[in-house]
Amino acid sequence: ELPDGGARPNAAQFKQLVVTALRELHGEVGAALPVDVLTYEEKTLSAILRVISSGLVKLWSALTLLGFYQNRRCAFRVLQTSPFLLALSGNSRELVL
Amino acid sequence: MVRFKNRYVLCEVVSEDPRCRQCIEDRTLGLAVRDAIARVHGDYGLACCSISFTVKYLNAYTGTVLLRCRKDSYRLLCSALPFVRYLESRAQRYPCFLNTLHVGGTIRTCQKFLIQYNRTQLLRLLQNCTTEEERQCIQKSLLSCSLTVEQSQSGEEEEDDGTE
Repeated sequence: ELPDGGARPNAAQFKQLVVTALRELHGEVGAALPVDVLTYEEKTLSAILRVISSGLVKLWSALTLLGFYQNRRCAFRVLQTSPFLLALSGNSRELVL
Repeated sequence: MVRFKNRYVLCEVVSEDPRCRQCIEDRTLGLAVRDAIARVHGDYGLACCSISFTVKYLNAYTGTVLLRCRKDSYRLLCSALPFVRYLESRAQRYPCFLNTLHVGGTIRTCQKFLIQYNRTQLLRLLQNCTTEEERQCIQKSLLSCSLTVEQSQSGEEEEDDGTE
């Protein structure tokens, strides 16, 4: 979330932001964690990230504690996590069979 | 039965520069190690390892250092030790590196290991030394440290390293 309207990051800058967050909280070891940005939408500023399951804690904590993007306040909200990509497409509780 | 368990890491500071020996201090070494942890493991690693981090023992003549940290974070500390590239003191940088010799749970085990290690180092120095006075010196210290059982306590205390 970027509350003030300004230049929105593109996909590469978004990945750079994620890696910077990991580097600040977990150092070089964190920055070397293999994180993939599977999709990125610049309009809604939402993305799907993929990370190895042992690195989920590091990634989530780093994203939570990231406060600034180019000296502008920002916040990461994690909407859903799941081991299956298909589960992210819809809410399984409202599935009509 | 709940107590804080520590790990004691015994390292050796190896440096090409002879002036580096004089400037080894507990504060400079502590700062250098914490800086390396901050670079490698970030804010979380630095905070994790700094809970109970101190330089417990330092011998500037032999470059022996004993560090203490919590048992939960000793792996972070040990993995960051190879990233200590230089010691900085009084605006001077001396390149060096840290050799990890032993990780123990108490200071006593580390001391036992250090005594054994110094004995083997003395033997190796004896093989490598060139002049006759050095040889005499090392042989004297070797004899003084391998006494009989009753006097072995006082013998272990007077452990001195031969000149290089």
